[in-house]
Amino acid sequence: MFTHIWKKEIQGELYTWKSMLWLVIASLLFSFTSYLLLTNAELSLLDQTELMWLLGKIVIGVALLIVTIDASSILNTEFEKETAESLFLAPISISDFILGKLFASLALWAAIFIVSIPYILVTSTGSHLALAFLGYVALLGTLGVLGLIFLIFGISLLYRSSKNTITTALIILLAFATPALFASNLKNDIVSQAFSAANPIDNIFSSLDNVLVDYKTSLLENWQFLLPLVLFCLITFAFLFWSARRFEKKGVIKND
Amino acid sequence: MKKPCIIYFSAIAIVAVFAIRAQASGAPPLSLQILSSKTLSGIAGDFVTVEGQITNTGSKPLGDVTTYLSLMDNQNKLPVDLEDWSVEKGLYIGTIDAGQTLPLNWKIHFVKAGTYSLIIIAEAAGNDLPQASAITQFNVSPKRNLNPGQVLPVALGTPILLIFILFLLAYRRKAEE
Repeated sequence: MFTHIWKKEIQGELYTWKSMLWLVIASLLFSFTSYLLLTNAELSLLDQTELMWLLGKIVIGVALLIVTIDASSILNTEFEKETAESLFLAPISISDFILGKLFASLALWAAIFIVSIPYILVTSTGSHLALAFLGYVALLGTLGVLGLIFLIFGISLLYRSSKNTITTALIILLAFATPALFASNLKNDIVSQAFSAANPIDNIFSSLDNVLVDYKTSLLENWQFLLPLVLFCLITFAFLFWSARRFEKKGVIKND
Repeated sequence: MKKPCIIYFSAIAIVAVFAIRAQASGAPPLSLQILSSKTLSGIAGDFVTVEGQITNTGSKPLGDVTTYLSLMDNQNKLPVDLEDWSVEKGLYIGTIDAGQTLPLNWKIHFVKAGTYSLIIIAEAAGNDLPQASAITQFNVSPKRNLNPGQVLPVALGTPILLIFILFLLAYRRKAEE
């Protein structure tokens, strides 16, 4: 049954030119970045692997931002437009409802990833890392996006307000992203290192660095980054599960 | 007679002490020679190797010998941070025996267009003054490449393709209505 909701959302999100414009803007951003990295007098002198790493960070960063905004409103619009009640009167369970919306948000990530493939391939030209680069962007991006969607859906079911969910989700994204952009010499103390080890965005960037700059391409060599990401997904899934159970008990109308 | 003698010997002692100190704190008996060309030219992004050698010209072994690079931007009259120019900013040699000659090789990455002066400096333990090599001139030409790795077709083509898909969607939707 979730496929019905999924298809409906996909049509709404990717079928009209208005809903596709962000994808063009994202591709322009990738175009600008890759062209600048490869042609700018000083940037083009960076090691090719560092250019790939920078592009990988931008692809995943843009995807996280877009998915955060989309996921923050995708559930809440049903509550704000008061269409959720009629949805639940139809034989649709809460899990179908969430699953349909989840796949719709993941479709946005898939669209960004597909658009980024030519850029990833062109920046990898001449290196032996093109497939590893593609594979790790796909894997790390999917884990990061999935965990973030679980978290945002959990918040959405508690808040049932797009504005509040978007604000909270963006603050959480900033809280994860800002320390991840700090230079490694600023992460020498125990607190920074502990936060860095738990921070999903830090783990995504560190794993990309491990693969592209240090040539450690096997999954076994990246387990220290993948494990926290899997844990992040599991914890946020547990939060979503708790939030959904609470939502089921309280019902659509009761919103405190 | 006694007083002038004391003054005379004291003066000799003071001169001797200064002479010994000056010998210990002077430049080490090292010779730095550049074997590669005096002028190295290339395009930004190129790598060149600066080859040299260090010789202990003294009669005793020298300990804790360290060599390092100093690069100056001739146009801006400023020293350059070697961050991207060389992986090895300095080479710790340790002890050089009397008369021993060791090779010095530095791989230099031309980062930015301009003219630069490079010298190799050597320091040894117990010497206040360093020893410097002759200057190597770098002439770095700018890199002009507007389509490296065929990025231009991708950078222009992908957004154009997406805009075409947008128009196609809009047209199809209008046709459906």
